[in-house]
Amino acid sequence: MSPRPLKRKPPEKPVDNRKAIKNILGLLKDHKIRLILTVICAVISTVFTIVAPLLIGEATTTIFNGINNIIHHTGSIDLDTLFHLLTIVVILYVISSIFSYLQSFLLVKVSTKISYDLRERMIDKILHLPMDKVEENKRGDILSRVTNDVDSLQNGITQSFIQLTTAVITLIGVFIMMLTINVWMTLATVILVPIAFLLIRAMTRYSQKYFLKQLVFKGSLNAQIEETFTGHDIIRAFNQEEISMEKFESDNENWFGHEWKSQFYSSLNGPLMNFISNFTYVVVAVMGAAFVLQRAIAVGDILAFFQYTQSFNRPIQQITRVMSQIQTAMAASERIFEFLEYEDEENPSEKSITEIKEGIEFENVSFGYVPNEKIIKNLSFNVEKGQKIAIIGETGAGKTTIVKLLMRFYDIDSGSIKIDGADIEEYDKNSIRSLIGMVLQDSWLFSDTISNNIRYGNLDAGDSEVIDAARQVYADNFIRQSSDGYASVLNEDTDNISHGQKQLLTIARTILSKKEILILDEATSSVDTRTEKLIQKAMDKLMEGKTSFIIAHRLSTIRNADRIIVIENGEIIEQGTHEELLALKGYYYNTLNAQLKENL
Amino acid sequence: MKKLLKPMKNKIPQIFFIFIFLSIQVYCDLTLPQYTAEIVNVGIQNTNFQFIIDIGIMMLLMVAISALATVAVSYFSSRVASGYAKDLRKIIYEKVLKFSNHELNHISRSSLITRSTNDVNQLQSVLGMIFMTLIFAPLLGIGSIIKVFELQTNLSWIILVNFIAVVLLLIIVIIKVLPYFKITQEIIDRINKTTREILIGIPVIKAFVRQDYEADKFQKVNQEFYDVNIYVFKTLLIMLPLMTLIMNLMVVLILYYGAYDALSGGLLTGDIIAFIQYSTQIVTSFLMIGAFMIILPRILVSGRRVSEVLNTEITITDGDLKEISSNSTIEFKNVSYRYPGSEKETLKDINFTLKPGKTTAIIGGTGSGKSTILNLIPRLQDPSSGEILIDGKNIKNFNLKTLRDKISFTPQKAILFQGDVKSNMKIGKSDASDEDIEKALELAQVDFVEDLAEEVTQGGSNFSGGQKQRLSIARAIIGTHDFYLFDDCFSALDMNTERRIKENLKNLKDSSILIVSQRISTIMDADEILVIDNGEIVDRGNHNKLIESCEIYREIVNIQIDSMEALS
Repeated sequence: MSPRPLKRKPPEKPVDNRKAIKNILGLLKDHKIRLILTVICAVISTVFTIVAPLLIGEATTTIFNGINNIIHHTGSIDLDTLFHLLTIVVILYVISSIFSYLQSFLLVKVSTKISYDLRERMIDKILHLPMDKVEENKRGDILSRVTNDVDSLQNGITQSFIQLTTAVITLIGVFIMMLTINVWMTLATVILVPIAFLLIRAMTRYSQKYFLKQLVFKGSLNAQIEETFTGHDIIRAFNQEEISMEKFESDNENWFGHEWKSQFYSSLNGPLMNFISNFTYVVVAVMGAAFVLQRAIAVGDILAFFQYTQSFNRPIQQITRVMSQIQTAMAASERIFEFLEYEDEENPSEKSITEIKEGIEFENVSFGYVPNEKIIKNLSFNVEKGQKIAIIGETGAGKTTIVKLLMRFYDIDSGSIKIDGADIEEYDKNSIRSLIGMVLQDSWLFSDTISNNIRYGNLDAGDSEVIDAARQVYADNFIRQSSDGYASVLNEDTDNISHGQKQLLTIARTILSKKEILILDEATSSVDTRTEKLIQKAMDKLMEGKTSFIIAHRLSTIRNADRIIVIENGEIIEQGTHEELLALKGYYYNTLNAQLKENL
Repeated sequence: MKKLLKPMKNKIPQIFFIFIFLSIQVYCDLTLPQYTAEIVNVGIQNTNFQFIIDIGIMMLLMVAISALATVAVSYFSSRVASGYAKDLRKIIYEKVLKFSNHELNHISRSSLITRSTNDVNQLQSVLGMIFMTLIFAPLLGIGSIIKVFELQTNLSWIILVNFIAVVLLLIIVIIKVLPYFKITQEIIDRINKTTREILIGIPVIKAFVRQDYEADKFQKVNQEFYDVNIYVFKTLLIMLPLMTLIMNLMVVLILYYGAYDALSGGLLTGDIIAFIQYSTQIVTSFLMIGAFMIILPRILVSGRRVSEVLNTEITITDGDLKEISSNSTIEFKNVSYRYPGSEKETLKDINFTLKPGKTTAIIGGTGSGKSTILNLIPRLQDPSSGEILIDGKNIKNFNLKTLRDKISFTPQKAILFQGDVKSNMKIGKSDASDEDIEKALELAQVDFVEDLAEEVTQGGSNFSGGQKQRLSIARAIIGTHDFYLFDDCFSALDMNTERRIKENLKNLKDSSILIVSQRISTIMDADEILVIDNGEIVDRGNHNKLIESCEIYREIVNIQIDSMEALS
């Protein structure tokens, strides 16, 4: 199945800011030295950038005075001073860019490392979570936490850290420099800042209203597209194209009607900022000129002031932008940490079990995925070493759950499961699992080579052992026929081999792992007759001399089992051998009869 | 790519307005440094305070006009971008509705969804940027250059030097980093893939106790990603400080050489100040275009994905015949089907006839081509050779709507649409009354719907597989048609329900029925059973005849008797 586009969920609950900040700071703590260095570099780089315009202003004044002197024939431009000033400016700029580079590079190292660590921790978490936390319906969500959220957190850290530090330093520095030039001009410029700030905020809030509105229409339109494209056959076969088109058009128009307004209002920030900066420019030009006339400042100071107001407006824009990025990053960090804070699967015991001597015993086992909803009720049965147990029952009866309990994927609510008389809860979970081989219908393989997939059963197995395992399950033939033989790579959806072939590979994998206990889920459908026979033979081979639990569908398997357990609603309703159950003339007998009649 | 521009056509007047208003904005903004120069050169030099105030008022006027112009630009560009996206979506949707299975499978449905949603959004967001870079930046650049020449200095060469420096820097960085963008994307894909694989494989990983092994595997990809990232940023981050440095050095150069110019009497201080500001604008506008070039490939990806949809050729053509007699027959004559690009034929030389009042069944393994046969009848796709005849004429000659009206089709995968039970039933018969609907529901054994207004969520996800199948059968039988095609749509039903539905289907006795199934019990009482293997009809006849004569049929029967499917 190809991946569906991940739907970004809007944050359902408001972000707990304090906790998010605490978590992010916790991440930064390990990189204290680098971060301090980053800040130092930022300070140096910014300070140097801030000082330069003053000197440029002085240089301009030198030229202006020189020109005045030339006009009044009292002298000329003082080229030495000019050269001197400009040399210092060049040095300042060069140093500033070096430190600016150092600063951003250090920071990227930190943020990349943080996201590297986070990903590592999350994968580790996934591998150690209890099963119910990684069930199918949660995969998409977990995946987006590992990828998207880590990404936005990294971006958030890098961007906000760089921009916030430089923005703040710049604001303070520029403010001081402007003050040294002229208090009134500074005041006039600075007073516009909070006004701009408030206007932008109001504007953002206003556009937010439209943004949320259009989001609703967007959702319904996208849902319609999704539905139509998935149900395309029906649309065509039932001549629904026009109706579908009409519905689409009305939704499309509706979305557009709100969407462009949302776009328009949110894009008004640009004109607003442009206006503020232009306005400041005029104020500086006029006031500056007036002060020059009063001999309060020099001509060059106007130029310096232009540059300062420019670098005063930029940080404000940056801060507004960064704020939204920080919001995203905080929401992301909340989702990441919520995931990392899940409890690991409990595995208190280190006692390991390496072999089975007598048998397995289920004693009054009860279990439910949700409290008060028992899937397995008071289940008791014995399996002696080397026996084959067939478990049968309708879908949803609890067959798979029984074997999952044995694998300790879930903990039972009451009763006990014993191996050789000892409760399996006394053992290390991993050692129990190492004892059991599992072949499920839903055969999971990697997008790796065929031989590596088989080798997954025993990582130390050599090539000959791998080939031998494949041969035993009749997979050797088709493997050799595929393009690169054992080195053929299964693609991401592993759909370049058939379902039946996949099952053969999982059986080969389990054969190679040489487990004492086996859990097998027989194929029911969607495999062609020939392959089905092969799978059957392979499974028989696998089970030779092993203690096996088979979730069985096939009469021949059931007939050959040492014992048959019939499950209904989580309870054993009948158990015994084929003959015993037939003699019982109960559920087993009746269903089998009905089935035979139906087919003949 | 040409098709992508089509929705732009009716927006040309609006784009023209954008151009006009941007020109006004640029013109006004660019007068400011000139006015400053006048303030310095005339006002200050001659200590003329009134002149300064006059100029100031002129400047404020310019600022106000510029502000209004920018609002207008915002207005028009929002409308154009949103409208473009709207029209593009419509064109795509219209086009996709005409797709046959062949086109659908070629691009894949999930990809079509992404293309008409995400990719269109991508293009829309880029559009605003295009206005800024392709209209605003050149206007700003050209305007500034004109202003620079008006100043009549000898300093223009400094701008040229800078220009070259910036271009060189851009080129070097692009050459060094661009290949790595692709690599980064590949590694991100690998990280996603590995994560997904681990998520899906958790039961197996735990069963084999391979947690450490998987962690190591992931660590390798993660490390690679880290290394590439550091490399890319190491180079990329040089750009910003160097650009700033180049810009700043330009200012220094202008001052230094401007002073020499002033010495020879050619230049005043105000001119130098204006010159600095104009040259900064020129470089800025160039940088904007440069930045655009860098993100251009990413835009092109979305553009290419969308235009691929628009350029897809529709293989199903409509016919003009609008009359089909009632009680008609459908005949397959040497029909073969081969997926484009595939060497093997999915269907080979299929011949059979659907007659009124008769039930025909198709049985065969997965991938034997059963569903393809059904899809050919309502022309969801066309055969690669051979003919399908209705009333003795090729179905391609008939109007699609007329043809499909004659046919009721139930696909393998039961698909319902958002709405309620009623709206879903009306898909089968647009003028169905509540009684009609209730009757159909009853015939299809839908005993779980209490109210026709019961909600159906997207894709019908609030119903189980078996329930969806029953609803889709009800939808199929609500209207009266000459041909009923059922594609393995009883698979999620238990034997008893299936038997009852089949009993009810006998009501359709005047029509032709075609049932595809893998279950013997579903098809055994059909008038004719076609046994398909590898795309060929290997045998045909009724159940009793096939049991005698057909090995494959016998094998299927035996396996199914040997299975306990009734239990599951």
